[in-house]
Amino acid sequence: MIIGPRGGRMGAVLVFLGAALPCPAEGQSRAAVERDRTAFADWLGSSPISPWRAVVVRSIGTGLSIGPDTADIPLTGVTSARLTEREGRVLLRTGSNELGLARGRIQTVGGWRLMVNGTPGRTTVTVFGPAPARDHKKLAYYGYLPANAHVVTLRAASAPRAQRLMTPDGVEVEATEAGTIELRLGAARRSLTVMRLPGATEDESELEIYFRDGTSGKTTYPAGRFVALIPRSDGRYLLDFNRARNPFCAYNTVYPCPSPWRGNSLSEAVKAGERYTGGGLEVPVP
Amino acid sequence: MNTLRLPVLLAGVLLAAAAPRQASMTGRWRAVLDIAGGALPFELSVTTQGGGLVASICNGSTCADQASVTVTGARVLFDIADYAATITAERRGDSLIGVYQNVGRNGPRSIPFRASKGTWPRSRPPAAVLGSWDAWYLTDQRRSPRVLHFTAGAEGLEAAVTSNTGDLGVFWGGGTADSFSVARFDGVSVYLLAGRLVGDTLRGVFHAGLRTQTPFVAVRTTGAPHLTAPTALTSADTTAPFRFSFLDLDGRPVSQNDSRLAGKVVLVDIFGSWCVTCHEATPDLLDLYKQYQPRGFEILGLGYEVTGDSTSDNPQIRRFRDKFRIPWILLHAGASVVEETAASLPQLRGFTAYPTTLFLGRDGRIREVYAGFRGPATGAQHTRQLEDYRRIIERLLREAP
Repeated sequence: MIIGPRGGRMGAVLVFLGAALPCPAEGQSRAAVERDRTAFADWLGSSPISPWRAVVVRSIGTGLSIGPDTADIPLTGVTSARLTEREGRVLLRTGSNELGLARGRIQTVGGWRLMVNGTPGRTTVTVFGPAPARDHKKLAYYGYLPANAHVVTLRAASAPRAQRLMTPDGVEVEATEAGTIELRLGAARRSLTVMRLPGATEDESELEIYFRDGTSGKTTYPAGRFVALIPRSDGRYLLDFNRARNPFCAYNTVYPCPSPWRGNSLSEAVKAGERYTGGGLEVPVP
Repeated sequence: MNTLRLPVLLAGVLLAAAAPRQASMTGRWRAVLDIAGGALPFELSVTTQGGGLVASICNGSTCADQASVTVTGARVLFDIADYAATITAERRGDSLIGVYQNVGRNGPRSIPFRASKGTWPRSRPPAAVLGSWDAWYLTDQRRSPRVLHFTAGAEGLEAAVTSNTGDLGVFWGGGTADSFSVARFDGVSVYLLAGRLVGDTLRGVFHAGLRTQTPFVAVRTTGAPHLTAPTALTSADTTAPFRFSFLDLDGRPVSQNDSRLAGKVVLVDIFGSWCVTCHEATPDLLDLYKQYQPRGFEILGLGYEVTGDSTSDNPQIRRFRDKFRIPWILLHAGASVVEETAASLPQLRGFTAYPTTLFLGRDGRIREVYAGFRGPATGAQHTRQLEDYRRIIERLLREAP
């Protein structure tokens, strides 16, 4: 939809308050999915914190040395530095300088970039190199099929449990059970657990399903794939397997891999969303 | 879970057929982000500055957070550098169609964007929702408190959403007799609050980002405390003077022994130039400074900046200083040089919010800690917080040096 040109007065007539706006087609259309795939590929190729550039992911624990060959994290061109966590704050000490590192923000050290993530006591640091690794695999997807998008109802958990889980980028977070959804795959009715993972800002969260299916380990990533629920205006959700995506460990083995979620294994093959062509497959892809 | 068919502010978004004509970029644009729950309205005000184009992002009468605008043929790029975010759009006649993106850890967060030349029509604020409401956000059968405060602004309904750690800035929108929809987009926050008055209860949904929807219920504020007091979140070691040593913007170390602070009552403002609430708090700090500085009061700003690297952070702090003409000491706290005094902030326990405000007595000890800031949008909470600040400063000023 396009906002009409010369909106001023004409807009005032047409816009009125309190009326329902049709739910945007976002998430339902082939174009939107393909646009998101392109944006993600661009990000992987160009972002300074692309998983293709990650060289190490480590838990900070009692502290990590950085720099020389003998360090916990050897980084060419970096003089000796040390990462520690104190009362939840992450500090980078170089000589007599000490720098507080904010979680989720990029810190440049020499030609490298550091990012700390995770909750106090379980903080990790990821180090990114200056360019994508040369041997990274290209992204691969199944073609978009409208039939792979299901409208589902979220049945809320009666006593939502909290659980520590890994997000797609291998960071451990406190998640809550949001409930279950049911869907029909062929003749079968299947149920999947939905967890609420923390989102980009304090008030944001994502309803995610981490699932395995008949393609896992054959044409898709063995540990499983993530797919998010997209809310609709009618209170139900769109579960679009065309949007299924790999955890970051599929792009780069320095990332820890989320363990499969109990009960979320489908015997049916969900030939939709992201594929996998790397190592560890039962049947190597030619 | 209660689901609502939401009233959304900007309906039937205006398909008007007209001959394509390339509008001038300068002027006002009415825009929406298409989030999963509807359309989030805001405006862009594009002006020429120093030979280039810049855009202010506006929520009603509140405009801030400038973006540089680059036009390449039909492609328009709004670069919101402070938040590492962009809007890229294609210009079709008087319309822009594209996508807002910022980068999270898991890849780009993309939200469809549309804009058209002109402004959104202003509507009269619905009287029935004006005032303060004690709200509960309901997520997975847990609830968390908020205070919603609606006011009649110069350009329509304005609202503040306050949590235990402060408010999210001014929301703007409108409504009908018994429903409302207010939004905030400032380059990084993507929020839409919509609801309806059902009897004595407000019911609705708080939308955050592309697809988070949190139902809420709210009742008229009774006067009983609904949020955790800002003084109850962060505590401090009060037995010894507050210790710090950071570089000022000229690279000179400044510590608690600085003569400008000796024997003074000091308000320590722990801030970041990237923090929207900190921008909202600064005019009030300027008022306090003007009123009390002659009586032995000082303010010390500890800036925590995005990179921690002073070559890129100090220009940000200087921009912040110049925007408000800040006369007090500003230090770049993200890059301290003296290790033992870098441990000054560990005198705080449970640090959670930017800004956090410390009040030091004349002896340098921390006497009060306020986490977060209730900005002007919060009305009475804002007034009360400033009254608290004044009361504390007056009391500390009366103490013997």
